[in-house]
Amino acid sequence: MKRIVIADDSATARMFIRRCLDIIGLGDAEIIEVEHGKEALAAAKAAPTDLLLSDLNMPVMDGETLLKWVKASPKLMDMPVVIITSAGNPAKEQELLKLGALKVLNKPVAPPMLMDALSMFLED
Amino acid sequence: MPHQDTPIYSAMLEAVCDTFEKMAFVEVTEQSDELEQEIPSDAIWVSILIHDPLQGEIRLAIPQGLLTNMTADMFGIELSDVEEKQRQDIIAEILNTLAGLFMTNLLPDDQSYKLGLPEHGEGPIPEVEDGSILWNLKIEGSPLLLIVNGIGFMS
Repeated sequence: MKRIVIADDSATARMFIRRCLDIIGLGDAEIIEVEHGKEALAAAKAAPTDLLLSDLNMPVMDGETLLKWVKASPKLMDMPVVIITSAGNPAKEQELLKLGALKVLNKPVAPPMLMDALSMFLED
Repeated sequence: MPHQDTPIYSAMLEAVCDTFEKMAFVEVTEQSDELEQEIPSDAIWVSILIHDPLQGEIRLAIPQGLLTNMTADMFGIELSDVEEKQRQDIIAEILNTLAGLFMTNLLPDDQSYKLGLPEHGEGPIPEVEDGSILWNLKIEGSPLLLIVNGIGFMS
């Protein structure tokens, strides 16, 4: 079973992402919901994690800082990180991809967007 | 030039319609002058700051009943089970999402922007400031109000 961490300070956003995961066939994954980057780091370190889906604007630790921490950690650096944000545009997307994000998706997220972003991940 | 003919007006209208349709599966339409309905004074409102490259604020106000119905539909629960926390979270996430789409629609592709976090308003909706841009909208017959304040948006 895959283990997926969803980091977003909004319960509504987490519910949407969870529904999208369900629709694209990842409904049986172990899903851990957290509210900010610091909790996401702790959750990802607690057990081998297959995927991190993170918002950008979050209190305590934002998604960009979280991405930098993940990519600097020998234990977590290979974990795919998808950023799902309302503050994305092509300039920001390029910046985040350079930092190591697998994909950057704009809210509101829809199942086809997520399916496309996770196509390689879903093949495994 | 009337506000309705400006790029900022259409950028916001597109962002609002897109956000409500994709998140809440409801259609947003503009209120015609003849049928204009005022937002109730006890409406729930939330605001978000735009920090960069322009400085401003977006405020969204929605009647309590409409927000409760949308919350029940979105979470798939009974109206009587809707909690205040869920209503607050939904209106904040809707504003967060539409603010991002609005800036994306408004700015060139290579232009980054920075938004604050949504903040819930307390008490009645503040008076509209001079020079603010208003969007008088409706969802299923209920009014919806959006206001943008900020010097950069007026030029």
